[in-house]
Amino acid sequence: MAAIEMKNIVNEYGDGFPAVNDVSIDVADGEFMILVGPSGCGKSTLLRMVVGLEDITSGEMVIGGERVNDKAPRDRNLAMVFQNYALYPHLTVYENIAFPLRLSKEFNEKQIDEKVRDASKTLELDEHLDRKPGNLSGGQRQRVAMGRAIVRDAKAFLFDEPLSNLDAKLRGQMRTEIARLQKRLGITTVYVTHDQTEAMTLGDRVAVLKRGLLQQLATPRELYENPGNLFVAGFIGSPPMNFLPCEVSGTTAKLPFGDVQLPAEKAAKVEGRGLLIAGARPEHFEDASLASNEVRTGSTFRATVDVVEWLGNETYAYIPFEAPPEVEQQLAQLERDLDGESLRTQLVVSLDGASRIAAGSEAEIWLDASKLHLFDPATGENLTVDTEHAGQIPDAAATV
Amino acid sequence: MKRKTSIGTLVGFLIILVWCLLPVAWIISLSFKTSAETAVGSPQFLPKDPSWQNYKDVLGFGTITPGQEGTHTDFLDALRNSFGIAIIATLLAVIFATFAAYAIARLDFKGKRLVLSLALAIAMFPVVALVGPLFDMWRTLHLFNTWPGLIIPYMSFTLPLAIWTLSAFFREIPWEMEQAAQVDGATSWQAFRKVIVPLAAPGVFTAAILTFFFAWNEFVLAISLTSTTKSRTVPAQMAFFVGPDPFNPPYGQLATASVVVTIPIIIIVLLFQRKIVAGLTSGAVKG
Repeated sequence: MAAIEMKNIVNEYGDGFPAVNDVSIDVADGEFMILVGPSGCGKSTLLRMVVGLEDITSGEMVIGGERVNDKAPRDRNLAMVFQNYALYPHLTVYENIAFPLRLSKEFNEKQIDEKVRDASKTLELDEHLDRKPGNLSGGQRQRVAMGRAIVRDAKAFLFDEPLSNLDAKLRGQMRTEIARLQKRLGITTVYVTHDQTEAMTLGDRVAVLKRGLLQQLATPRELYENPGNLFVAGFIGSPPMNFLPCEVSGTTAKLPFGDVQLPAEKAAKVEGRGLLIAGARPEHFEDASLASNEVRTGSTFRATVDVVEWLGNETYAYIPFEAPPEVEQQLAQLERDLDGESLRTQLVVSLDGASRIAAGSEAEIWLDASKLHLFDPATGENLTVDTEHAGQIPDAAATV
Repeated sequence: MKRKTSIGTLVGFLIILVWCLLPVAWIISLSFKTSAETAVGSPQFLPKDPSWQNYKDVLGFGTITPGQEGTHTDFLDALRNSFGIAIIATLLAVIFATFAAYAIARLDFKGKRLVLSLALAIAMFPVVALVGPLFDMWRTLHLFNTWPGLIIPYMSFTLPLAIWTLSAFFREIPWEMEQAAQVDGATSWQAFRKVIVPLAAPGVFTAAILTFFFAWNEFVLAISLTSTTKSRTVPAQMAFFVGPDPFNPPYGQLATASVVVTIPIIIIVLLFQRKIVAGLTSGAVKG
């Protein structure tokens, strides 16, 4: 086991385009680190540089206190699970798991057998040991790939989107399984995913990347509550954060649906900034008639609900609105960055399941304005971020 | 309706079988006929009086027809040459082709297309056109009438096909296989030998079979570049089966030699075919 330090790592393509640009991440010994971002953000490239399958253009990769920039993958002693598992189809499950042990030449037949059976027991692969990978289901293959990783005493585990080829139910199960295994083995882990749910549930800390740049490195809770910029705010959370055009004068924030009162310290941070983008998570809204019991720190507004999705425990209500062109352009760009397709600017609010608001009707909605984030529309920077609880936000990140 | 088609299929099969196997059956039947029978020219299909005499003369056991003592020693020498040359040519061609194909499939180097098109050009070149120049060259280089003198051209003519076949197979193997092996602690060579080659085994066997067939059956070069049984292969040696009467070629013996020379091919095909099928269906071939 070892800590992994990435210092100002850069990877440039042949044409000089940086796939990974000046990324510094320190993974502590035993930590579960997630690299997350939309496709093309450089997360897989970064992982492959850790393992040595991709060249490092500049910067330093230090694993266990040792600089490994020029070391071949086999000399780095890391275990990796590939997206398509990369099992050896000509070998049985047993031989697949034993493969790294046989290569190391350190173990005799008896020790190999012991280790393989130990790993197969952990992953409940005992009855499949004599089968070929081609005859296994997706979940079983996934476990064989993990077996090949845990059988060695590797310094760290690296996962490259290991669950993306599984169906939704299995993905949930394997996610828990990976978390349990990592906690038990206490081994340093770097895990790449594009799925924000995996990032939130698995990681001790999460590194959010966009177009090769590190956006924010923080715990899942910090990312959720204190996103450093528009991109992180939009990426983390499902359904995503709502972005609304907003103008602040004094402590009054003018939103498309009406005015809300901001806490004084938030209002002070954005004094005289003109047009801003306000970010509000769906759950910070509520049906005003049901929110009456709560502490009413926020304000209410009236709006026409377009569509209502009732899920039993909660209700999603969709409220379309018109945004000024400069904000709309910014939001469309953000949507593209997030691999999405923006059809219209709309507000998604999560209401209590007991809410009786019907589609097409006008409703009174309550907003917890103390949770509101305010972003600079030009740079995307979160002006109201609580820097003490936001992990690391590199300076270069905010510029959209 | 279904029955009709199955009968139709059966009839079709039969026609094809007869079409393909009749000449083989004719040769087998010929090989059991005595020289007296083949000389009279009565073309009945089955031998009137089947005898092993041709096999005795060609392979050299039992009582040999007087005046035919040399036939079997020459034939056995040729058989030895055939085996030696074909096996060595196959081995070398497959090894070279594997490396070349791997490089073509995996590495990005300048002139890759040139190598591939050159290989194709060689395959398209008519062999006969090269006989003259090769004959002259081999005499100067003292390769005339030697094993290498045949192995080298056989190799060069089968390499293109082997390279094309194998590079297609290599391209099918995902990059991750190799990277996984490297992360697991393998050197590039170990990754190649323990993961890539076993996975490409069906391709390797296909290439090996094709090469072996070519070397085993080749006639033009074999007869032009050899002069004695020191290096003459079976197809060429059969042209020297003359018999006592120059106007009456020993058909029986020729047929016998053909039968004998076909048997190894059948065995090899059956052996390798099983490997190919096993490789394709389950990836079960262990390198």
